[in-house]
Amino acid sequence: MTEKRSSLVFTTPPDDVDAVHGFLETVWSANPEVSDLERMAFETALIELATNVIQHAGGAGGVTCVLSVTADENGLAATLADTADAGGIVLMGREMPDALSESGRGIPLIQALVDELRYERIDDRNVWTITRGRAG
Amino acid sequence: MEFTTESLGNGIAVIRGDGRLNMVSGPALRETVKRRIDAGESRIVVDLSRVPFMDSSGLGALIGCLKSAREASGDLRIVAPSTQVAMVLTLSNVDRILTPYDSVEAAYRD
Repeated sequence: MTEKRSSLVFTTPPDDVDAVHGFLETVWSANPEVSDLERMAFETALIELATNVIQHAGGAGGVTCVLSVTADENGLAATLADTADAGGIVLMGREMPDALSESGRGIPLIQALVDELRYERIDDRNVWTITRGRAG
Repeated sequence: MEFTTESLGNGIAVIRGDGRLNMVSGPALRETVKRRIDAGESRIVVDLSRVPFMDSSGLGALIGCLKSAREASGDLRIVAPSTQVAMVLTLSNVDRILTPYDSVEAAYRD
């Protein structure tokens, strides 16, 4: 299988996570070999990441994101680069909050669903990478 | 996503959504549940059978609604979650306080 890479540019507002869902539908259509379980886990993680970026970076002027998703024989990978200021989201040491908490589950869910969650600051961009190896 | 409501009597209101439960639709769910509680219906059933996807923002809205219902001496119970919704409930360790029921009828049988 050859590598397949797809990209989406979105700006919030007015775009929101529904733009990411719509984009992923085209990715899954182009990659029918990705199982339902893999899609479900990866889409959940990616939506959590996009939601975090939109919520934490969407202050004055909003934020523009470039999302790339790659599907190949190794599994699934996504890179999300956003134009927000640095340091908006704390990745490390995040544990699932109490059952009655209404927030704070995004990062722990991502960490439960992917093999790698990485953050880099590159040329005035926050660059987030998630990867999930192919099951089995 | 729009939510519809149905009153079953005995303080029970069924709320149905058709679409994704996330940061976009969560506030609408909170508002819909608040209206039913204000109207005296604090035994809430959220029918998830047409909700294919829920993220942690949507889950936060559900839990906020659960707390509101309990503060009004009621409860909130969920029905027919999809595989993805059930996965998020389990990974978030909230399946204990939001136990899925198979049907609206089963949710308040006790």
